[in-house]
Formats: sequence, C-alpha cells, structure tokens
Amino acid sequence: MIFQNIKMALISIKSAKMRSFLTMLGIIIGVFAVLVMIGIGDGVKAQVTSQVSSLGTNLLQVTSGQIGGSSTSAKNGQQQKSSGGSFNFASSLGASTLTTQDVATIEQTKNVSAVAPINVVSSVVTYEQLSTSSPFILGTTPNYTDIRQLKFQNGRFFSDNENTSTSKVAVIGADTKQNLFADNDAIGKELTIRGQKFTIVGVVKKSDVGSGIGGSSDDIIYVPINTANSVTSSNQVFRIVVQVDKSEDISSVQNQIKYELKKNHGGQEDFSVLTQEDLLSTFNTILDLLTAFVVAIASISLLVGGIGIMNIMLVTVSERTREIGIRKAIGATSGNILSQFLIEAIILSVLGGLLGLGLSYLAGLLVQKFAGITPVFSLKALVLALGVSLFVGVVFGVAPAIKAARKRPIQALKTL
Amino acid sequence: MSKNNQKTVIYMKSLGKRFDDEAGVLDALKDINLEILAGDFVAIMGPSGSGKSTLMNIIGLLDKPTSGVFMLDDVDIASLGEKQLATLRRDKIGFVFQNFNLLPRLNVAQNVELPMVYAKKSKSARKQKIAEVLKKVGLEDKAKSRSNRMSGGQVQRVAIARALTNNPSLILADEPTGNLDTKTGIEIMNLLRDLNKQGVTIVVVTHNPEVGDYANKIVMVRDGLLHKTKAVS
Repeated sequence: MIFQNIKMALISIKSAKMRSFLTMLGIIIGVFAVLVMIGIGDGVKAQVTSQVSSLGTNLLQVTSGQIGGSSTSAKNGQQQKSSGGSFNFASSLGASTLTTQDVATIEQTKNVSAVAPINVVSSVVTYEQLSTSSPFILGTTPNYTDIRQLKFQNGRFFSDNENTSTSKVAVIGADTKQNLFADNDAIGKELTIRGQKFTIVGVVKKSDVGSGIGGSSDDIIYVPINTANSVTSSNQVFRIVVQVDKSEDISSVQNQIKYELKKNHGGQEDFSVLTQEDLLSTFNTILDLLTAFVVAIASISLLVGGIGIMNIMLVTVSERTREIGIRKAIGATSGNILSQFLIEAIILSVLGGLLGLGLSYLAGLLVQKFAGITPVFSLKALVLALGVSLFVGVVFGVAPAIKAARKRPIQALKTL
Repeated sequence: MSKNNQKTVIYMKSLGKRFDDEAGVLDALKDINLEILAGDFVAIMGPSGSGKSTLMNIIGLLDKPTSGVFMLDDVDIASLGEKQLATLRRDKIGFVFQNFNLLPRLNVAQNVELPMVYAKKSKSARKQKIAEVLKKVGLEDKAKSRSNRMSGGQVQRVAIARALTNNPSLILADEPTGNLDTKTGIEIMNLLRDLNKQGVTIVVVTHNPEVGDYANKIVMVRDGLLHKTKAVS
C-alpha cells in the first residue's frame, strides 16, 4: 500500500512538474543554505584544528590582554576569576603588555625547554622592482625554528650571534620566495624592509597544512628580534611561544608562568597564557556562534518552505475532491486517503531536501575552488537535512491530508 | 428469504431516509421494502427528485438509512462504522457512474487495478485480474491507454472493468448511458446484459425507459415511496 501511495504521489508530482518544483523551492533553498553554512563552518574548523595541532601539543602561547582560558585561572585559588571563557577582543589590541623581562622570567621556569619571543614588523617588502606587503614579518630568536620544527628548502635559520649583533639577515617562507624570486635562487639576495637591506640566508619549505585563515603560513619573513626592535625602535614583545618538556606538564607550567608573570606585572593579569587547545576553543566558540546565527536565519526558509507545501497541498486537496470521492466509492478508507496525501507531502519535501543536498554539494565544490576552504559535509549534516525535510513534510502535510480524508464520498462525487 | 434457490443480495424492510437540517425536514425515502436476488438485473426508475438517487447511495453504502433494516449479503449495515462500510463497499459493490469517473492521471490498467490495491491483493493476482476483466469488456489491447484519448463508450467499458475487479455481489450503475450516444448506449447495455447472463447481479438507476427494457425487474420510485415493483419476463 505504501509502495502504491509512493507511486501515486510520484505520478501526481510528475503531472504538475512546475507546481511541484515551486512547492519544493522553499525546502530546496532552506536545506541548501543550512548545509552550506554548516559545511563551511565545519570546514574552517577542521582546517584550523589541523593547523594548530600540527604545531604540537606541548606549546603555550603568552599574549597580551585577556583571551579566554578561564579553566586554568580558576584552578589557581589566589587569582581573581577571569570572565569565564569570554573573549575580550579589545584587550588583545593596542600596545603589548609583554616585555623582554617576561621572556627571561619564562626561560627560568621549570620544565620549559624553549622560549621564543615574537614581534611583528609591519612593512612593505621590496626586491629590486618587485614590491609586496603581503608577507607577515616576524622578529624572533633562533629558538623559534626548534619549537616550530621548520624545514628548509635552502640555507638555514639565523644564529644567536646574528641576533645579538642585530645582523640584517632574513629567512623567507616558500610562498614569499615564489612571489619575489619565482624559480630563481634567493639565498644571498637582498630585501628592503623599512628602508634597510636584509640578506636572505634561508628559505623555509612549504608546510603540509597549506593556506589557512588570514593568509598563507608560507608567506612569511623571519628576522632576528633584536634587529626587528632596532628597525622599529621599539622594545615590545607581541607574543611569546613556549615549548614545554612534556605535554603532561603543560597545565602546571601554564599556571606557574601565570603566577610568575603576574609578579612582573604588578599583580595584574593583563596577559593570557594559552595552550593550543585554549586557542582552538576560543576560535571554535566564535565560529560556532557565527554558524549557529547563520543557520538560524537559513532555517527560517525551511519554515517558509513547509508552509508553502501546506498551502499547495490544501489547494491540491480541494482540486482533487472528485478524485477523493471516486477513490472512496471504489473502496478506499479514510486511512488510505490520509496516507496518500501525507505521503505526497512527505515526498515533495524530501525530494526538495535531496535537491538542496545536491545543490549544496555543488556549491561546496565551488567554495573549495574559489575560496580555498574545503567544506565538510558530514553524515550528521546529511541525516539532518533529510530528517528536517521529512519532519517538515509530516508536520505541514498532516492538516491537508486530514482535510482530504474527511471528505464525504457523496459530496465529493457531486463536485465537478 | 430465497426463491428459486437464489441468494438474497439486497434486503430492505421499512427503510426510511430523513434529511434533517436548517432547510427543514425531508423524508427522501419512506417505508421501502425491497429484495434483490443474486443474478437479478434490476432497474430503479423514477423522475428526478423521486428519491432514487438517495436509494442508490444507500445501496452503494455511500449513505446510511435513518430507519428500517438494510442487509447486504446478509450483513446488517446499521451497526457498521465508516471504515467497515468502506471495506464492504470495496468488496461487495462495483460502481459505474454516468460520467465514468476514471482517474485521469492513471492509465486504463492502473484505473482497473485501484480497487484491488485497496483490497491489498498481490501484484500477480492484480495483473491476472486486469487482463481478465479487460478481456471481458473487449479492451484487452488498451491497457496502457489514457482515458482522455478514448471514446466515451470505451471509457465506460473501463469503468465496468474496474467495477468487476473485486468480484462484487452487485454492480451499481448510475445512468450508465447518460453521457453516451444512442448506439454506444446500446452497446454498453448489451455488455451489462452479457455480464448479467454470466451471473453478475446488476442494479441500474435510470430515468430512461429504454434502459429499463434490459432489466428483468423494475422498481419505480416516486415521492420517496416504492410505487411498484414488477418482474419482466
């Protein structure tokens, strides 16, 4: 019987193709929008997670301002509780509160194996006639290459001596090299940064992770931090990357650093010590919020789509009153009629869901091609799309189906 | 309740139908006593407004009487609910309408199949029966045709085939020739007579005396009363 109902539904959907398509349109757009948004959100998350975890689980980042990380500060009884897991974006802007003294303090902390301070130099980079502002220019110490385990295409990282003597040397990323030198050798060539000539001593291999959010991690220039500070005439530390001996010690080291740094900062916790997980969860919190917001808006079109189906089905029932009368006269029970119209609504809705699913997959391919983000279409999303459209079909198909089933055969047969 | 060893299909005793609504009270049928036997070819005749349509609706289980007794194949329908009536209608009655009432979206075979679908017959049984009844009405080569590409006479034959599929106790035909020209009408009546000779009980509702000529029993209805019942030899 159900099979027959499905067959009947397909026949009547096919006999009014345009109307059926317009009826499904709301569901198609709704499912499409929801799936694309979830897919992009999940895709970005997966990308960031793989980038962050490729850096290792034994890293801490010390940044200026307060960013998340309530779980750890709450453990330390002496500290005031930071606003739980929140994200104060403004506090991470502006002049950094971190100093070279903080770097020294962290270096002396137990179980810390390496510390690398980072400064950012904003500048246009020039090589002969070519000029670019895209590379991220980092001032750091040779420790950085150990912590990040950089691999080299050519040459080497700069040395401690070069840092101490504020040598004007630079190490460039694979993309920067490609942009400025194409396939030519870059070692020994001179770049102009802030009007100063820097000699290239090394080219870093392209990372496996690929481009991420906020530009390529391979479009980068490393210079000694002392040189960077002299060029920019500043003494700030933008961020401190800390490598811990063992991953197990990470949270005790995190608390220890917090405790020591607070002394340097006159008892104020105007900095954050974050694990990679903290960074991820902060990022994911923001992304989840954004995704939920967009999905909520997209869901409205599912609701509108459902109402559209109900509307058309009610019209269909009126139009097909005579058919209902005939069916009842030749032996259909009210239950038969109810299930016929309900199944028709469900099929319209699920068909719309499937079309939306296919469309969102195509859109995913486009996003991948043109935006460099690989949307993730999980089984969860697929089940969600079909489940929701099934649900919409049932909810908005019931009222018209009941209306159809209630028709009295004598009256129904009289209508023309 | 039987004579000549014929089974009673329809038995009505003091049957009445009263419509009671805002428009007032109307006794459409009063004190109807009627017996139709298996193998009968009955014509129910009367002018419009006589109550014959109401009588047909009650015989077809589309409506229930408000008083009296109505038994179909020895089943008292007074106690039956809507669902049981639908099932009984499906198994015992084959409808033939004046305006054919095929489903336009379905082809001939699908239309004929529908009552068997509701009766939950197996697919192979349905297929076999479709071929059998289409052959009976002379349309064995039209199974895949659409009703909108067929003549009125052919469409009415499909409707008769559909009425036969569940081996009903009777075929109830409401003005079966009303929308057909004279020649085609005669063909349809001849088909019904042939079926009757093969043992199918037929009840025709009509105001056309020529249609009545095919019956072996005529029931005249006037003002809601059975005016006379006569057997035709």
